[in-house]
Amino acid sequence: MSGVVLARRRLPVLVVLALGWVGLMLAVAALADVIMPFGITQLDLRNRLSPPIGFGGDWLHPLGTDELGRDVLSRLIASIRMSLFVAFGATFIGAALGTSLGFLAAQFRGVVEQVVLALVDFSASLPFLILALSVLAFLGNSMWLFIGLLGLHAWERYARIARGLAIAAAGQGYAAAVRQLGASAWRVQLRHVLPNIASTLIVSMTLAFPEIILLESGLSFLGLGVQPPATSLGSMVGYGREYLTTAPWVLLAPACSIILTTFAVSILGDWLRDRLDPTLR
Amino acid sequence: MLRFMLSRLARAALTIGMVVTFAFVVLRLSGDPAQIILGAEAPPEAVAAFRAAWGLDEPVWLQYFHYFGAILSGDLGRSMRDGRDAIVLVAERIPTTLALTLPALAIKLCLGVPAGMLAALHRNSFLDRAVMALAVAGFTVPSFVLGLLLVLVFAVQLGWLPSGGQGTWQHAVLPVITLGVGGAAVLARFTRSAMLEVLGQPYIRTASAKGVPWGAVVRGHALPNAAIPTVTIIGFMVGSLIAGAVVVESVFSWPGVGRLLVVAVANRDLAVVQCVLLLVAATMVTSNLVVDLLYGVLDPRLRSR
Repeated sequence: MSGVVLARRRLPVLVVLALGWVGLMLAVAALADVIMPFGITQLDLRNRLSPPIGFGGDWLHPLGTDELGRDVLSRLIASIRMSLFVAFGATFIGAALGTSLGFLAAQFRGVVEQVVLALVDFSASLPFLILALSVLAFLGNSMWLFIGLLGLHAWERYARIARGLAIAAAGQGYAAAVRQLGASAWRVQLRHVLPNIASTLIVSMTLAFPEIILLESGLSFLGLGVQPPATSLGSMVGYGREYLTTAPWVLLAPACSIILTTFAVSILGDWLRDRLDPTLR
Repeated sequence: MLRFMLSRLARAALTIGMVVTFAFVVLRLSGDPAQIILGAEAPPEAVAAFRAAWGLDEPVWLQYFHYFGAILSGDLGRSMRDGRDAIVLVAERIPTTLALTLPALAIKLCLGVPAGMLAALHRNSFLDRAVMALAVAGFTVPSFVLGLLLVLVFAVQLGWLPSGGQGTWQHAVLPVITLGVGGAAVLARFTRSAMLEVLGQPYIRTASAKGVPWGAVVRGHALPNAAIPTVTIIGFMVGSLIAGAVVVESVFSWPGVGRLLVVAVANRDLAVVQCVLLLVAATMVTSNLVVDLLYGVLDPRLRSR
């Protein structure tokens, strides 16, 4: 988006800052391999627990090192990539799953709809963290299972929204018109109804995204999410906790990244909701 | 009203049934219990004997039936780690967890609800912006980060409070604050939007237009209507009294249900995990049921349905 457009639309300062931060995080994640000064498991035993710049550190390790002499900046970059990857993956899985089930319910009504609604009730009545912990206990942990599991977070919100809006859309002229022209039920849903409710779904995704980042980092903090040698923002905090008194920078760098990212995406989500969501006008 | 209550009761029972089914399915997906417990090198005769003893050679539907029956009679299995009944192990920890979550709930209610109401009543004022900024901050700072920062300041730097463990009341201060602040932020945000939605309704304009003093409009018309969505989220908070402190208990090494669950998950102590899962589901469903019945009291429109 160019500066002119920004000025014409008069974006609030906070939204511009949030956009900037999210853009920076995406760029860091995309360019991680290029900009990482060290490997995430590379040891520098001469510079163990070296402090960041401004606290007596030097430019070799701008954010300092941990007790094995691993570069905090490099680990932070890798963690940002991992956390964003997990959060994006899980958000899209949740949105796709919830929307499909919502459409199914709206399309077939009857038994299918009752089953979907019962599943919605079930998910809404159990704290997701407990559900996730149980599944991890029963099935063990792997990267793909973990992403898929987090994808179950908030699926019921998309399902509710998609079902409600699809039922409402079915009663509107445009859906009836394309159906009269001989379009199949799926064509009506995917080509005509989906674009019409997309903005509401995108708002839900922006609101679910920070929640997923918090869930991922919480589980990784507990040692039950992303497993070493891979690293995520949450597991970095969990690891840095051991050095809270001697080397707080190991923990503070990823903690700040989590807070700023969730804050920025929440701001964007609220702003998008105010602009896009017709149900709130 | 009776029909309303009965349908809610049926729904609660259905949800509990689904949680039990979920536990059964995931338990079966996790692999052959005989292999898990006896180990991969167990002789085939021992595996066969184990399967016969625990009914694992029966058809799946019969196993499901027996499983359901065992849970209904309160038999939730034994911990694989110390062989005690899982339910006893969990029950012992409940008071410890409540010692954190009950005071935290009080903080959430006393801070969150009034802050959200004030923000809504003074919309777009400095007060509103300040409350909302704090509420967003409270939501975006993860509890483990807030907890560790509090430890860094009050335990490490100032040395006023212990950094973890359980014993005196001082041990509970930091975890309770950590839990309470995050929840208060969520509640404030929620109360504000519920209140704003109600204040935009035509009946509020009608009441002010016919000359009812603003205070009376708020008390008599706005608050009762805004109470309904707010009660829902409070119900959710009450429902998570037992399991809402998983992360915070781990940060502060507080030996409650959440800590037990995390350790059980790490050790794959399935009986304990299952017991916590069912307990949490039961509290949540009960709390939701109470909320649904409260709706009937709060909202006369629902009674006639």
